[in-house]
Amino acid sequence: MTDPAIWASDIRLEYRISRSNIGSIKEFAIKTVKRQMKYESLWALDGVSFEVAKGEVFGIIGPNGAGKSTLMKIMARVLPPTKGRMVVRGSVAPMIELGAGFNNELTGYENIVMYGTLLGRTPDRMRDRASEIAEWADLTEFIDVPLRSYSSGMLARLAFAVATDIEPDVLVVDEVLSVGDAAFQIRSQERMKNLIERGASVVIVSHNLGTVAELADRAMWLDRGNIVMIGSPLEVIDAYKQTVDGGLA
Amino acid sequence: MTTTYYDSDKARKPVASEVSNLWAHRGLIRLIVTRDLTVRYKRSTLGIWWTLLNPLLTTGVMWIVFGNFFRFEMDSDIPYVVYLLSGILLITYFAQAVMASGSAIVNSAGILTKVYVPPEVFSVSAAIAAAVNFMISLAILLVIQLMMGVGIPWTVVLVPIPVVAMLALTAGLGLLIAAAAVHFFDVLDLTGVAVQLISYLTPTFYPLSIIPDSYLWIIHLNPLYSYLTVFRELVYGNAGAELWMWAYMFGSAVVVLIVGVYVFSRSWRRLVILL
Repeated sequence: MTDPAIWASDIRLEYRISRSNIGSIKEFAIKTVKRQMKYESLWALDGVSFEVAKGEVFGIIGPNGAGKSTLMKIMARVLPPTKGRMVVRGSVAPMIELGAGFNNELTGYENIVMYGTLLGRTPDRMRDRASEIAEWADLTEFIDVPLRSYSSGMLARLAFAVATDIEPDVLVVDEVLSVGDAAFQIRSQERMKNLIERGASVVIVSHNLGTVAELADRAMWLDRGNIVMIGSPLEVIDAYKQTVDGGLA
Repeated sequence: MTTTYYDSDKARKPVASEVSNLWAHRGLIRLIVTRDLTVRYKRSTLGIWWTLLNPLLTTGVMWIVFGNFFRFEMDSDIPYVVYLLSGILLITYFAQAVMASGSAIVNSAGILTKVYVPPEVFSVSAAIAAAVNFMISLAILLVIQLMMGVGIPWTVVLVPIPVVAMLALTAGLGLLIAAAAVHFFDVLDLTGVAVQLISYLTPTFYPLSIIPDSYLWIIHLNPLYSYLTVFRELVYGNAGAELWMWAYMFGSAVVVLIVGVYVFSRSWRRLVILL
């Protein structure tokens, strides 16, 4: 068997939340001297271990605050785990909160180059791809216009077009399967499916259980930083639905 | 794609990781520097000319006050306006670089919490942008030197040496400040005050001879005095740069950069969660 694309071992992540609510050195000094500094430790992830095989589509479900987004950020290298170890093999394309680093004063073209470079591609490559990216996003006529005159729909289209203009080994997706108007939603969903079918390993977080059932080979149910269940999507989704329905009844 | 293998256990080796990160992201650094230099003035009519106008206006005001109202007895026969402008330019460079580099990481929180980019890229880019700004503004100093009959010595080609040393110094300070600023936002205000204090302790607009001998050690201790004297020596000559000043300049640059990178690297794991 080949090495897994993602290997997570006993991942823990601690947020230290200061209850004293301080923002300045003066307050910090006073409260430290008075011994009023209270930290509350919150384990967003509390010992999560799993593997994702090469080419596998792995779904993560769970209620708000389960630690799904935190786990995505650890896979995307944005957050280092407090404890445990995360290994990711291959190039990673994080599709989390698209559009990071967009600058309103720069033109569409300049933002395509900047955003793509922030995502780990080279500026030269982005300059080559810029016109095609803009064309796909239906933004060719706005490519030399500063971003401040873009509508929010145009921004979302541009971000999606740049983020998906790749062939990654590992794709980490957080609820970004649809952006823009109805017509663009269909095109963007198609593009996502193409990326997945190209054989990349995919981790997909979604509140849309239908999406997970349709796309995933395996699913993981996360609750309050712990794994409740890993298994076939239908099994996991069924079990998850039962607790949700039970909770409601 | 730059990363093809990520292991959180091997994420950071202080100093070595930063050096390889910066090299791997040189394309991004160039983009950020260009953006910083152009965006800053994009909405203003004078644009990049503010780079030249800003120190020129400051120098104008100070020249009226200290060159005419309070007349200093100068140590050399260099015209006061040349002495003053060279000082203002270098101190402005220092102040801008430290402030921009120190706030770069807090300002880039929106990026750093969404995609993986080594954070030191932003601090170093800000310091480089300030250095480029300084090199552009040097043009007016050279023009004024010609106008005042001081001329331009050949040593001007060596000016990049103190500029690069200053780059190391300000990037190191910037990383230290950035690490602190994630915890306490008001570190940035404090930095503003500290920068102002240290610039008054540097002989930009006054000659060194007005300082009583018993206080001279304070000025000598201030590394910016060494940077400024070396810079003046190279740009118009005869500024009295001694060997120890060169040594102090290089020494402080290297030490501050390494300490800054080291402290930042060690604390980043805890910092990123707070962003």
